Amino acid sequence: MAHYAMLIDASRCTGCAACRIACQMQWQLPPEVFFNRLEFREQGTYPNVRQDIVPVQCMHCDNPPCLKVCPTGATYKRADGMVLIDHGKCIGCKYCMVACPYDVRQMNERGVPEKCRFCAGHVETGGQPPCVATCMNDVRIFGDLDDPNSEISKELKRRDVFQLAAHKGTKPRVFYVKSKK
Amino acid sequence: MRTFSRRTFLKAAAAATIAGAMPLAGDFTGFVRGAAEAPVTRTPSTCNGCSTNCAMFVYVKNGRLWKLEGNPIAMKNEGKLCARAYGVAADVYNPDRVQQPMKRVGDKFEPISWGQAFKEIGDKLTKIIDKHTGSSVLWLCHGGKEAYAQMLLDEIGSANYVTHYSTCFTSKTNAWDKMVGTQLTSDINRAKYMVFAGRNYAGGIMPGAMKKLMRAKERGAKIVVIDPRLCELAKIADEWIPIRPGTDLALYLGLAHTLISEKLYNESFVRQYVFGFDEFWQANRHFTAEKAAAICDIPAETIRRLAREMARNAPASFLEPGYHGLHNHYVNSTQIAQANVIVNALLGNFYQHGGLMPSASPKLGKLALPKRLQPEKGARADGAGVNNEYPTVETSRGIAQHMPDLIAAGKVKALFIYHFNPLRTAPDPEYQKRIINAELVVSIPVDWNETSVHAAHYILPEHYFLERMEAPKPISGNIAHDYPQVAMRFPALKPLHNTKDVLDILKGIAKAMNIDDLYPFTVEEDAAAQLKPLGITVDKLREVGCYEVPEAIKPGFPMKDGKPALNTVTGQVEFSVGIFKLHGRQGVPTWIPPLVSPKADNEFRLIHGKQPWHSHSVTSNNPHLLAITKSYNGTWMWINKGRAEKLGIKNGDIVTLEAKIEYKGERRTVQKSIPARVTEMLHPECVWIPSGYGNFSPRARFGYQQGVNYNDFAPARVEPLSGGCMVQEVIVTVRKGGN
Repeated sequence: MAHYAMLIDASRCTGCAACRIACQMQWQLPPEVFFNRLEFREQGTYPNVRQDIVPVQCMHCDNPPCLKVCPTGATYKRADGMVLIDHGKCIGCKYCMVACPYDVRQMNERGVPEKCRFCAGHVETGGQPPCVATCMNDVRIFGDLDDPNSEISKELKRRDVFQLAAHKGTKPRVFYVKSKK
Repeated sequence: MRTFSRRTFLKAAAAATIAGAMPLAGDFTGFVRGAAEAPVTRTPSTCNGCSTNCAMFVYVKNGRLWKLEGNPIAMKNEGKLCARAYGVAADVYNPDRVQQPMKRVGDKFEPISWGQAFKEIGDKLTKIIDKHTGSSVLWLCHGGKEAYAQMLLDEIGSANYVTHYSTCFTSKTNAWDKMVGTQLTSDINRAKYMVFAGRNYAGGIMPGAMKKLMRAKERGAKIVVIDPRLCELAKIADEWIPIRPGTDLALYLGLAHTLISEKLYNESFVRQYVFGFDEFWQANRHFTAEKAAAICDIPAETIRRLAREMARNAPASFLEPGYHGLHNHYVNSTQIAQANVIVNALLGNFYQHGGLMPSASPKLGKLALPKRLQPEKGARADGAGVNNEYPTVETSRGIAQHMPDLIAAGKVKALFIYHFNPLRTAPDPEYQKRIINAELVVSIPVDWNETSVHAAHYILPEHYFLERMEAPKPISGNIAHDYPQVAMRFPALKPLHNTKDVLDILKGIAKAMNIDDLYPFTVEEDAAAQLKPLGITVDKLREVGCYEVPEAIKPGFPMKDGKPALNTVTGQVEFSVGIFKLHGRQGVPTWIPPLVSPKADNEFRLIHGKQPWHSHSVTSNNPHLLAITKSYNGTWMWINKGRAEKLGIKNGDIVTLEAKIEYKGERRTVQKSIPARVTEMLHPECVWIPSGYGNFSPRARFGYQQGVNYNDFAPARVEPLSGGCMVQEVIVTVRKGGN
């Protein structure tokens, strides 16, 4: 059984948003529904200023708050780590949207909250998520933690990493490289 | 503003025009199932989002566009694609495409058949040529598919092939052509120290350049970015050095002065390969780093340090030759480009690994066609290369921004505008609208752009790039790669609308003019002939998308009979340009101040640049890219925080920009309002706006009236040496509050 995870090196991101629209095309999403976003932040004063850009998406938490609050079991976690939504079971109560500390769920026009699916159905046969594949700066690495030879397994060993809002006990499966700056 | 429904990506075209059923079920699970079951085709193409031509594979499911993947072979994108690629591809279904030939009747357009359009255009063209000669016909275009249009111009005796480049980067190509006889490219793969000024590969994106830069960073190479704005490339650079806009020439001269005065330059390179070194040094020996510092707002010590670090790493270092940022927009743009050549030559990095290398370009073949008896051509209407007009401007590119003057003077009677939108991408749209006054204006676009709507008499819509085959394209230039490459566009989709490709359009016009057999071939036959010398077939290229010729280019200065053999008069790098002197100008660059400078508390220089997800006006009507704009306040005007505070402007406040257009009898005040992005990431003396907004075509509905455009504030001037449009020689006043 695979165990999927992602590693994001935000220091490489230049904010082009190719990840967002490549994902939209893969999943045929309308313009307003997108599964990954960028957080921009300026630090310092001119001319000693720098810009931080952080890509944010569903963290596919091992302890997902969205799953715990779902009254119908529409949100579920697969054995391979993916947190997914069964649209048939969703009643549109939006509890999951409130519970998510990363604010990554968006209501679609049919009243179902949507979010990154870790490209379920595409990666099992060896495909890379388009947000990973299209990125000119190789910001993201996606892969299987159960495979010690996967790039992500090797990089997670080599790099100093952290998780967003780890103190909330969500145990995200999306890791971030610690910035050297 | 219209509202979008789910699945707009696929559904955007009016449902009636699409016969096939949606491949989508209502949710992901269904979609995935659909994906697994539906037949999928994978067709090679090249992106049309900008002129980089990223090679890619187009996935089509059930006859409808699904997704794209970058071609890993292509050196300009190495398997990667930026946001524009997806947006411009999805626009095949944009309802604002021109869906059939149209004819202007008063203020409106009426459908016309292809046959009738060809007949009317052919008749008018014949009459115009009979009366005013072929020299009164002009082909105005982005540039890139010269051959087919050129054949018609040759047949009627017109020298008027004019590209958009004079609104983009012509001072660079002009200076390189005259000083070096070729354009060298930066060898990012092997460089140890790279200085980028006015070139932002992460904004005006070339994905392959970014891949190479990231690898260079990983192996310890240094990247320095000089830009008034902390641009996207500066974000990943080792150092961002803000500069006063319009003064890069002073910086370059300061770098050259340091290299020479501290004897850091490559003396043996200069001795062997440079002509005019003494003339340059005589003219600039007093232009010290201190003098440069006072002008360009970079400390003298920093200028000297940059020069020393470049010299220490030479020849594996370069001052990147630049692009749109500096090479058109200032009165001193030609001298900026000249000084760039000189700094690099002083480093001795020409034809050196890690420095500047020639483009590896494949040697393509040519279709053998019968020789035709053709008339002699008259002088160019745009004045490029013409004595007493613009004698030093490259005739291969021409001057695009002063068409209404040529029309008013009676020089141009018939104008074809192909894949170009001067009403939005050239200065002063109110002036450009007068293009309509020509006797015949034919626009060949894909969408209802401003030029078609406001100036065309006929609109002949071209197949979308995903619907057409095009002759092979060399993948070369801008960044160095050891092996020549060629890629090609194959049709991934059947044409959705009543459109044609440009060759068929030209065939139709030629036939209506009773010109027989001007184009006795198909695009595929042309492609086969071009590929022949490479030993590959069209089918082979259809399989791989991008083909790499397995013969590497080698470093080393071109020599013949033991002498330097550049394509210049002396065969050397010419620091002094003879043809400039011949026409009464200085041969070597010296400091020339910008035309205008901001003075009062409310005055700023207006500068612009590409946002990473828009490509000037080409992508500006795409709903998905515009949604990114909305998410990140992408239309906002950047202003330095300290300056904004003095004017009482807070982040998100609406401000009004005002400029006076006073030029050649034009006398107007332009006022536009836009929210302000108050930032520390910008030089205090300028405001910056992204280049992709301010659309005013009511038939391009998604982008209509979103944001403002820099061209609204600039008169349509012509820089005399290279033909540039000088649009950053503009001062705007900024005040809080809407218009």
